[in-house]
Amino acid sequence: MNNYDIIIVGGGPGGSMAAKTAAESGLKTIFFERGRKPGEKNSSGCGLGPRMFRDFPDMMKELTPEKCPSMRAGVYARNYFVNKDDIVSAMILARPTESVTYEPAKSFITMNCYRSEFDPWIADLATNAGAELKCSILITNILKENGKVIGVIDEKGEKYQAPIVIGADGVISTVAKGSGLRDKWFHDHCTIVPQYDFVVPRENIDKIMGEETLGVWWGVNFPSAYQVFFGDGFHIGLGNWLHSWKKNPLYYLNRVVGLKHFQHLIKMLDAKPRELQAHLLPWMPYPEKTYTDHVMLIGDAGGFPCPLEAEGIYPAMVTGKIAAEVAAEAISEGDTSKTKLKEYEKRWQASSVGREFEAGPELWSVWKALPFSTEGNMEWFIPMVSEALTGIFDWSEPHTIRLRQVLAQVKKYLPKALPVLMQEFIPLLSKVLEDDLDKLMDPKILQNLMSAIPALLQLMPKKKKKRRGR
Amino acid sequence: MKIELEGLSKHISGTGDFITINKEKCNGCGLCVRICVVNLWGIRDGVAFIRDDYREKCLECGSCGQVCEPRAVNFSYPAGGTGVVYENG
Repeated sequence: MNNYDIIIVGGGPGGSMAAKTAAESGLKTIFFERGRKPGEKNSSGCGLGPRMFRDFPDMMKELTPEKCPSMRAGVYARNYFVNKDDIVSAMILARPTESVTYEPAKSFITMNCYRSEFDPWIADLATNAGAELKCSILITNILKENGKVIGVIDEKGEKYQAPIVIGADGVISTVAKGSGLRDKWFHDHCTIVPQYDFVVPRENIDKIMGEETLGVWWGVNFPSAYQVFFGDGFHIGLGNWLHSWKKNPLYYLNRVVGLKHFQHLIKMLDAKPRELQAHLLPWMPYPEKTYTDHVMLIGDAGGFPCPLEAEGIYPAMVTGKIAAEVAAEAISEGDTSKTKLKEYEKRWQASSVGREFEAGPELWSVWKALPFSTEGNMEWFIPMVSEALTGIFDWSEPHTIRLRQVLAQVKKYLPKALPVLMQEFIPLLSKVLEDDLDKLMDPKILQNLMSAIPALLQLMPKKKKKRRGR
Repeated sequence: MKIELEGLSKHISGTGDFITINKEKCNGCGLCVRICVVNLWGIRDGVAFIRDDYREKCLECGSCGQVCEPRAVNFSYPAGGTGVVYENG
């Protein structure tokens, strides 16, 4: 029998963060990776957000191009709006806005690097701290004694024992299943994400993309696709819930790659397909069950990817760190029951990840109603946004006439748009602003507001007046 | 747009069987056929089957097991250190 203080199943960013934290607090720690090395089984968009650099500064400053040659950060994200005819009808180049408060969030949106480089780097931090890493080992079951979790069993029948097991084993989690926390995902809690990796000559990326680091392809005919630029290539991928596909997921991804505009980009960059990847990705309104007796689930295994965009690396690292801290306390107190481990839930709820999930169901629902609504709401959303943002910049008529044409066109989408916007954005705003809205409900303010509406309506011109000179 | 998939994924042999189908439970709905990114599934006589060479093609996403309503498809991971390898994941 192999005895440890803590067993962590999974050597991704969450597992390694948990292992590092546990080892640093003096626990005898082991973590398992089914690949020959961490990261070789993982594919993701892989943009590291600035929150990671804010929350783990000492660690993240050690991440250098020598360790991760694919690293590439940038300040711009290009949003492509692709209409029902597969034509790019508008583009918005976004960058951190004036309301962004800290560095490095002002300087880059994401730091992109391949998992095959990032995961081994973070696992090294854990082994340097004293954690034992076992690679090429698949954990196949939870070890129990009288119904109580006491460890794990590997594919060869080898047993490992510890008072606490952390499930960092991703979307299809043996720990979640074995401990009874989850057997299968609900269909609209889990997405499938196919992704191509394209290789690009290193010098072309900066020359052509400049400071652009992300592309988002908002489409009518495909669920919205993301494009992430690395030092020597890019990923293009998209996802949707398991039961939302009318055709094979790759059909939709190929449709993006086949866009005239995308093909133009491929030619400019001299990009070539290098790898095809696919993974499941939990996309939850709220992570419901994240702990039980002697077990905590972190990262994807716990359903922690962000409810709006499903970025999962940062939440995995945050929850991994919290779980290991709670484990250390629980072990020193000699109580690893779920009564004690409830502390884990309390602390992730109080963390940055928990703040994200405060409006989790609302954020999740927005994404479901729009980018995932292939051939649905995006049919009016794309042309409406394009019209509203760019329609005035056009020389086909005097701008006075253009403005009327634009407004008339936007008005045509409103019968479809308004109910969705009301249904999705009002609940989100009211959730986020709930305390402030209580103040707004003051009868005096309401009265003023109500009296202002008829006055505003009065301002709408009834008849077009002509203006000649002064 | 069609991208030639041959050569776009690398596999380490020795996986053993990691996907199993319970023919009694399968209702032939075909969701596994639709969801598999690398087209490893088919329906024969109203029952799902997986290509014989799936061990060298599977991307180990696990969708087939997750979409299967009657739980006829069981997906588990291949032996440690084998199966798909992503060099640029």
